Amino acid sequence: MLAEVFLVAQKDIRVERRAKIALGQVAPLALLILMVFAFALDANASLLERGAGGLYWLAVLYGGTLLIQRSFDLETDDGNMDALRMSGIGPSSLFLGKALALFVQITVLELILGPGIVLLYDVRVVDWALLIVAALAGTVAFSVCGVLWGVMSAGLRVRATLLPLLLVPVLAPVLLAGSRAFETALGVRSGAGWTWAGLMSVIAAVHTALGLGAFGFLLEEG
Amino acid sequence: MLGATDDEGTPMSEVATVIAGWGITFVVLATYSIWVVLRGKSIGQELGIGGIEQSDLGKDTSATADS
Amino acid sequence: MTAAAKSGAKMTATPITRVLGVSALAATAVMAVLGLVVSPPDVVQGEAVRMLYLHVPSIWIAYGGFALTSISSILFLWRSGRRADQGRHYDRLAGAAAEVGVVFTAITLITGMLWGKVTWGTYWQWDARLTTTVLLFVTYLGYLALRRLPAEPTVRSRRAAVMALISFINVPIVHFSVDWWRTLHQKASLSVGRRPEITGEMYWTLLYSALAVTVLATWLIIHRYRVIRLEELRDEEGLEALIASRLNKDVGSH
Repeated sequence: MLAEVFLVAQKDIRVERRAKIALGQVAPLALLILMVFAFALDANASLLERGAGGLYWLAVLYGGTLLIQRSFDLETDDGNMDALRMSGIGPSSLFLGKALALFVQITVLELILGPGIVLLYDVRVVDWALLIVAALAGTVAFSVCGVLWGVMSAGLRVRATLLPLLLVPVLAPVLLAGSRAFETALGVRSGAGWTWAGLMSVIAAVHTALGLGAFGFLLEEG
Repeated sequence: MLGATDDEGTPMSEVATVIAGWGITFVVLATYSIWVVLRGKSIGQELGIGGIEQSDLGKDTSATADS
Repeated sequence: MTAAAKSGAKMTATPITRVLGVSALAATAVMAVLGLVVSPPDVVQGEAVRMLYLHVPSIWIAYGGFALTSISSILFLWRSGRRADQGRHYDRLAGAAAEVGVVFTAITLITGMLWGKVTWGTYWQWDARLTTTVLLFVTYLGYLALRRLPAEPTVRSRRAAVMALISFINVPIVHFSVDWWRTLHQKASLSVGRRPEITGEMYWTLLYSALAVTVLATWLIIHRYRVIRLEELRDEEGLEALIASRLNKDVGSH
């Protein structure tokens, strides 16, 4: 099963590498968003510093949604997912494989955003361990939720607006927790950073389990 | 700082707010209820199912096609 | 005989729902009298407390409706095979309950904001309850949107059912997260926006309101369910007519 997972992930990543969407388009876009936040907040240094954690995750949400969308546009150009279904690969492996590929892409995005907020919002990392754990947990949560809800809206003409509508309420606690954890890790506020990171991990685990359970149903046709 | 105390609102505006709240609630519920019932009636007519308690077994309605 | 005629579907009114409907109407009228006139204003909150007779039962009913949606969806996913109608009964029930739930969630929000206007001085204060209610509202708006997708009915029903199932687990998580978040922030001022101690007449008024709203919601869900059923029948008939006309055209080629 592990081999299948990697197979699926590799396929997605290979397509991505050829198209260079993540690096070429989404990452610069996310960086642009960070700048636009500064315009919106009048480049108020103290506001930007205090809000850096939250703004980071907003940028991840924006870029991540685009990547999720793309991950499924590849599969379902005319409304069916036959390629996925006929491949003979089990639903669980499909789910994990796509989640893995997404995880890699979103991580690439975050590796650019991280330095972005340090540079643009003048923050310093005080607690690296917390930062990394929180980022990992959040990225896993984004990835599994992304695949789960991506498949839910896949192949439909309204998918571009439906996906965020379904995804954001689900990711709201991740955004909440991620922002709080980052604030602590960036020394902006002292607090229960690790507890928030713990919450993110729980959410990531729960949604992984949900995805494994539900993916089979979602891929079934008629 | 957090939250205002009640002496900011005069008794009149309190009552007005309560009436607004109950009023909006009743309007929303009434509108929704009426919409559901009317929609049921209209589709029912379209399908040629009429009246209360009609079980429709053995009835051959000729007006069947959607307009 | 048409599909509609064969199905034995009734118009949306039947003796049971007539009785239920009249009861709902009467109960609601009594609730209004109790809530607006008979029960006393609160010592601290004054007349604003009357909003809670609608606000609290509404969110209870909303939760109840969404729970019904989730349970029905679980049954749809697991028990469809055993049923003659391929589980469509469960699917319809899930949809009807969710829509009624959304209506009552909206009422919860509106009454909650108005209550806040009087009590806090502002319509919004990022209070845990209102915030989670907005997220709940949007979640199930999304569910209703999913139910209306241009996709094959079975695919659509299945996706909706999975979503309801996931939401059943996710909504408490969201609730907990937001609650904890706001608790951390309001450590200093726990007394702000606290719901009053409900005793005596207020208590009975609240309970009665919950009962009245439940009767109304039940009536609404039943009617909404039937409308969904009629809509399905209409779509089936449209399809039948289409096929029939095609067959008539292709005489001899079958």
